[in-house]
Amino acid sequence: MKNKTKFSYEPSEHEAEKASNSYLMSLIAIVAGLPLPIINLIATLAFYLGNRKATYFVRWHCTQSLLSQFSLFFINSCSFWWTISIIFTDATITNKYIGYLVAAVIFNLAEFIATIYTAIQTRKGIHVEWWFYGNLTNLICKS
Amino acid sequence: MVVLWQSHKLNLQILIMKKTIIQGLLITAIFFATWFVLAKVEWISIFKVQKVSDKTEEKLGELFWEIFLKSEREVKNPFIVNSVDSIVTKICSKNKISRWLIKIHLIYKEDINAFALPNGHLVVYSGLILNSENPEELSGIISHEIAHIQLNHVMKKLIKEIGLTMLISMTTGNGGSEIIKETAKMLSSSAFDRSLEKEADMKAVEYLINSKVNPEPFANFLYKLSDLEDPTTKYLSWLRTHPDSKERAEYIIEYSRYKKLTFESILSKETWDKLKNKLKD
Repeated sequence: MKNKTKFSYEPSEHEAEKASNSYLMSLIAIVAGLPLPIINLIATLAFYLGNRKATYFVRWHCTQSLLSQFSLFFINSCSFWWTISIIFTDATITNKYIGYLVAAVIFNLAEFIATIYTAIQTRKGIHVEWWFYGNLTNLICKS
Repeated sequence: MVVLWQSHKLNLQILIMKKTIIQGLLITAIFFATWFVLAKVEWISIFKVQKVSDKTEEKLGELFWEIFLKSEREVKNPFIVNSVDSIVTKICSKNKISRWLIKIHLIYKEDINAFALPNGHLVVYSGLILNSENPEELSGIISHEIAHIQLNHVMKKLIKEIGLTMLISMTTGNGGSEIIKETAKMLSSSAFDRSLEKEADMKAVEYLINSKVNPEPFANFLYKLSDLEDPTTKYLSWLRTHPDSKERAEYIIEYSRYKKLTFESILSKETWDKLKNKLKD
């Protein structure tokens, strides 16, 4: 699901560190954002906005990490509100609900692993494009 | 040359966009497929969620019924019990409901009331039977309460009103007898949500039609109750706990209007009259 490709230029040590930080930011935010999914989106968005004027390599990776947070945000929000409805309304625990939670955990875990891997690679200055998110970032983020 | 290069760049952009859209759709499809497959797994039985709640429900049913048994007098006359039992049996058998799930209890009380307790306990007051004009009216109310049981409304209501933790602590003997008494009283004297009542009404009409019992008397019964001058009179518990009876009577009639219907008598007139006479004695 990940592609190591050549970036249009060789990123400097400083750029690699900043780009790697964007993934670390989302990683920390995933942990904090598990009970409240909006937190990781806000944290990544804040980091993205802070690096809007950074170099292309840094912006590119901030965008990829932000976009990947969006899908998780929707998945986790559904889990969150579904759970709330079970606690506070007539809704009951069903196979569908537990199935959804397990699917959400699998996707969160996949994202978590991918994020760690990308953070390490980016720190080394290696450009990693995720499947789907990489293309989407290419469309959004212009040099 | 520049134009050619720009057009090539545009084509490339479109290609990437198409690829991205396909990948986006694919990733969404993968998520839903994963969910779909995982939803097929019997998680409830794996985690024993149902088992825990079934046991809790069983215990709660016993607890609440004991409360009523202590304070009220149960009808023991075999003729009365068997007659009402035959109504319940017919409704159950025609609607593929396990008969043993419904535990019917008759109580001597002037209140026009019937209510469901956890674990399929169905309590009917003698006042309700005496104020029903025919067995079809009584069958309607019984069907309505069976629908509450079958649709798991009782436990839903209890969990919403007092919470699962409290319910479980009741069953383990830590709930306090006052709270148990109050909860039992709440079940017998307060309504379900409007949406749950409507759902139970619709299900009751279905039960009646499947049992070849005319649902119209059930609607008439509701109309009759709502037409009484003083609906707050102390004997009209079922009306107080089931508001908007007129509206409900109307949608019951409306719902059953378009069904292909043939009806039979659920209890002979002779049995019905004898049942009422025996209850009056």
